[in-house]
Amino acid sequence: MKFTIYQETRIGKRANNEDRLAHCYSRDALLTVVADGMGGHYYGEVAAQIAVQTLTEAFKREFKPRIRDPFMFLQKGMLNAHRGILDFAGKHHLQDSPRTTCVACIVQNNVAYWAHSGDSRLYLLRNGKVLAQTKDHSRVRLLVDQGVITEDEVLSHPDRNKIYGCLGGQQTPEVTFSHKVTLEAGDVLVLCTDGAWSGLPGDILAIALKTADLLRAVPLLLGQAEARGGPTADNLSMIAVRWQDTYSDGSSGGSSVISTRTMPRDTVTTKMDEFGRNPQSRTELTEAEIERAIEEIRSTIQKYK
Amino acid sequence: MAQQANQPLPAGFQLDEYCIEKQLSLGGFSIVYVATDGQGQRVAIKEYLPNTLALRAEGKTAPIISEEHLPAFRYGMKCFFEEGRALAGLAHPNVIRVLNFFRANGTVYMVMEYEEGCTLQELIQNNPGRVTENFIRNVFTKMLNGLREVHSHRLLHLDLKPSNIYMRNHHVPVLIDFGAARQTLACDAPMLKPMYTPGFASPEHYSQQRDLLGPWSDIYSVGASMYACLAASTPVPADIRKARDELKPAMVLWDGKYSDQLLETIDWCLCLNERYRPQSVFALQKALTEPVVAPDPPPKDNWLGQMVGRIRKSRDA
Repeated sequence: MKFTIYQETRIGKRANNEDRLAHCYSRDALLTVVADGMGGHYYGEVAAQIAVQTLTEAFKREFKPRIRDPFMFLQKGMLNAHRGILDFAGKHHLQDSPRTTCVACIVQNNVAYWAHSGDSRLYLLRNGKVLAQTKDHSRVRLLVDQGVITEDEVLSHPDRNKIYGCLGGQQTPEVTFSHKVTLEAGDVLVLCTDGAWSGLPGDILAIALKTADLLRAVPLLLGQAEARGGPTADNLSMIAVRWQDTYSDGSSGGSSVISTRTMPRDTVTTKMDEFGRNPQSRTELTEAEIERAIEEIRSTIQKYK
Repeated sequence: MAQQANQPLPAGFQLDEYCIEKQLSLGGFSIVYVATDGQGQRVAIKEYLPNTLALRAEGKTAPIISEEHLPAFRYGMKCFFEEGRALAGLAHPNVIRVLNFFRANGTVYMVMEYEEGCTLQELIQNNPGRVTENFIRNVFTKMLNGLREVHSHRLLHLDLKPSNIYMRNHHVPVLIDFGAARQTLACDAPMLKPMYTPGFASPEHYSQQRDLLGPWSDIYSVGASMYACLAASTPVPADIRKARDELKPAMVLWDGKYSDQLLETIDWCLCLNERYRPQSVFALQKALTEPVVAPDPPPKDNWLGQMVGRIRKSRDA
């Protein structure tokens, strides 16, 4: 597999960031997850964290080096996250369980499979156009489908934040699955939270990411979305993946292209921000981190012996 | 106050399962020792000991680190871990192998394979006559196999130079000292300046835009290393070249002594603009393994040679 990937989350103008995002990949499979903890509920960030952790941990357990049934994997992962959130609420005697949206995507054998619950979105962009996008589980989306309101009225509708699909709610979450989509070289997958998409129409996203370097373009787009959010801008997060031709020569594309061809079959690379705070803001190592770093290096050495 | 050098651990010191034999080298950030492990195997051990932050007095084992230096000391340790992590995941005959990593004496240690040999720099200083066309092509093509492996792990070496190419048993090049290696996408906090060696570091090393660094930056250093092998001296540093480029092209200096194609390749790697250099190790290797066209013998100095030369020239013109 070969791809470029970039993920970033911003706090916007809120007091804390309840968005969580992660990606991990083995030699033959890639998982991306975005979750948006719901602000109206306590511990939204915990729910979001449980969602991304449950899915990434399941990935680490189940890839060999592919996921046997990606849709089954996504369904089980989301349901387990849902139960995990309820367990957390029970253990801490919370009146109301925390909730989170979730969108996750698996790519393997050049085929993308995704599923979502709530209003975090996935866009599949090809040749500067939106080829596919998830349909939000929100009241306004239903109203648009029923022809009650127009697309333009969505962003200003009083019920725009009401969603009916989420992990951690009273009911079993509603999860919608995609079709299998075969990716072509140059296709871009974008997973984002409502803070990001509400300021960035899909067609603009498609044009902006058509050929641009994701490492530069995504921060710019998030900057734009944040500016449009104004003084109350919501948390905003995005993972963007540009799929590359699996069969092309390894020398092109620069240093940011990830090629998994030389990865050992039994390893997974994970990128997930640490819980609670941004690890990049710290420079000092704690005792525990030193121990962990040494342990990690030793286990890698063992693996290659 | 003059900078005090750190005292190395004494010979015979028992460090974890290893017995220190002697100090091999002393750098600004670390000391390297030769030691023997429990089975009597010789290993190289690198001790993290930045001499601006931690001081080991004579006769002591644990270094003294003042309260104010502790955060920086810990941050530097993070870089040392980067190096360990970078090397632990690489298993390649042309890249130094890490055998163990442990904590002792208030600092951390990295154990690496040790084999007989010397650095490319020493080899060239001691045998200036060995630097033939074939030698350069051979050593650098093999070394580039290792560098390719490094790049395929999304790492950059960032401190390539003849003294960081170890010649195992005097003929197999092995990349050593990944102290400057960084995950290309890892964010660097500006607490420690990036390490580089003037003359071998690319122009991007000097600029503040670290996002310009890429495989082409290591490739500049490869070009500078080849140039240094031919010249037996360090090339003009890139920051000086940027102000006023006085580096004589390899094509000018060694015309006729080496093939045009090799000299062109060296000059190609040494382009100041990173976009004009070979963009990948693969591209450079391709250039180095192309069939060699032997240089034209210089015209003989007798009248016949001069005549032949003149006729050739008039025909070519």
